[in-house]
Amino acid sequence: MPLESHPLFLLGVTKGSSQSAPLRGEVRDRAVAAALRGGSMEDDTWAECQEVAVRIARTAGQMVQEAVNHEKSVSSKSTPTDLVTEADQQVEDLIISTLRERFPSHRFIGEESSAAGEKCVLTDSPTWIIDPIDGTCNFVHSFPMVAVSIGFAVKKELEFGVIYHCFDGTLYTARRGHGAFCNGVRLQVSKEKDVSKALILTEIGAKRDPNTLDIFLGNMKKLLSAPVHGVRIIGSSTLALCHVASGAAEAYYQYGLHCWDIAAAAVIIREAGGCVIDTTGGPLDLMSRRVVAAGSREIADYVVQQLQPINYGRDDHDP
Amino acid sequence: MPDLWQDAMDHAVAVAKKAGEIIRDALQNDMKVMCKSSSVDLVTKTDQKVEQLIIASVKEKFPEHGFIGEESVADGQPCVLSDSPTWIVDPVDGTTNFVHGYPFVAVCIGFAVNKKLEFGVVYSCIEDKMYTARRGKGAFCNGESLQVSDQKDINQSIIATEFGSDRDPEVVEKIFSNMRKILCLPVHGMRGAGSAAINMCLVASGCVEAYYEIGVHCWDVAAAAVIVEEAGGVLMDLEGGPMDLMSRRIIAANNKTIAERISKEIEAYPALRDDAPPGTTE
Repeated sequence: MPLESHPLFLLGVTKGSSQSAPLRGEVRDRAVAAALRGGSMEDDTWAECQEVAVRIARTAGQMVQEAVNHEKSVSSKSTPTDLVTEADQQVEDLIISTLRERFPSHRFIGEESSAAGEKCVLTDSPTWIIDPIDGTCNFVHSFPMVAVSIGFAVKKELEFGVIYHCFDGTLYTARRGHGAFCNGVRLQVSKEKDVSKALILTEIGAKRDPNTLDIFLGNMKKLLSAPVHGVRIIGSSTLALCHVASGAAEAYYQYGLHCWDIAAAAVIIREAGGCVIDTTGGPLDLMSRRVVAAGSREIADYVVQQLQPINYGRDDHDP
Repeated sequence: MPDLWQDAMDHAVAVAKKAGEIIRDALQNDMKVMCKSSSVDLVTKTDQKVEQLIIASVKEKFPEHGFIGEESVADGQPCVLSDSPTWIVDPVDGTTNFVHGYPFVAVCIGFAVNKKLEFGVVYSCIEDKMYTARRGKGAFCNGESLQVSDQKDINQSIIATEFGSDRDPEVVEKIFSNMRKILCLPVHGMRGAGSAAINMCLVASGCVEAYYEIGVHCWDVAAAAVIVEEAGGVLMDLEGGPMDLMSRRIIAANNKTIAERISKEIEAYPALRDDAPPGTTE
């Protein structure tokens, strides 16, 4: 980190630091806290962002809880099974407006903003990557498996993730280099390497044409017949990814999810000791609309080998 | 008029709560996992311990009552429903989930008299959701009334099913063929919690429109069957007639329209009945 960012430099402790006006108040406290943690002022800035993310995720989650029992105005996006409601839009507006006011120089990638035509491009700027309601189909059916997901990237690197289960209040958080937590308890992926003892999660995706379904079902059949212990679908990719982070499932794979489904969960799984990669076995490509995540590299590699690809395009291409 | 079976139901709820505690405790410790019919048909000491707890407590309070339990049957006890008051129990529905700490695990206690289901208790113990229903008195989850979905359009439905533990390629082929038919309708989505009873409680709660499976056992569905019906739902055999508790197959749906559509789409295949004499093969 550059010397000028180091908290001790800013406090005027290091040799050669210019004796500029001493830091005051909140800024000084943060610098001290950062120094004690061995972090930089930059780290501390993102910690503050994460704290704000947690607060807004909880508020948004409450909004979702209240909305689930009301009449929902449902429409569809790319296919008849790709659902969206007014609540998705309202929750995203709340999150982005709150964050924009606090961090006016930051950028935003949100599911509903993208649907409205905003470009979905990751630059070096601090960028919030938001899914206001992950599991919209569940939400429409009042099936209480729905989450708010807030990811954050700087210089195209994922820095922290916050996922809030709107109905049971479970909060998953992780900050790069600082571990992953569920309601304050440290998360650890499953260490299982034997695929015959694996529980695998996935989601169907929005495409329901017979060709796509044949590939989707073929992938699932191959894995089931490994044999694995089981395959489950819950209707929320972020919550399913959190089950991998908590060790309850050994792996997750999907074609058809978006960068806003992956961004937060990728940090959480990696900080819990797992791996998040591309379906071809290469490094994760956040905009590629596909992912394999697992507790162990062995199981990730096995899953990769079984998969036939389904092409959903990219988040960062024009529609 | 006093309810003859209220006592039994209260006892079922109490023992299900106790069983749930045992299951939650066991999740914290290392688990010894054993296999029954195959490497994916799992059982643990907790399954056995919980069933023994339930049998012992029922025998003490209701010595005349009969008992059908998953682990007792695995141990060689007959699986025949007589007219006697009979407890039909799955101590841990979702054993695979339990082994993984995947949070959908239920204690299931059904109760039948004169071969008719009278009440059902399903305790989804990691979620701490106690589902109950007494015939004629409604269905509840943690005291809140349950009501199935009012959806009549299959294209706007979520359908739940499971892959089960039979990995025979012919069976797997049929399972996937049925899934394909449902997905192509299309439907909004398909789900699987990994527990038949919890899937059925999702139907009763209105979260999904229907659940179907071939390969379930009577102890997986007996309790939840009452819950579905008391929430306004219907039970059907895969071929369209009334549900047969020992047939190893079921459709549980929010209404007849959805149930019949599923029955029309999917292909039923034979499974060895729970009440088949020992030594019978399919």
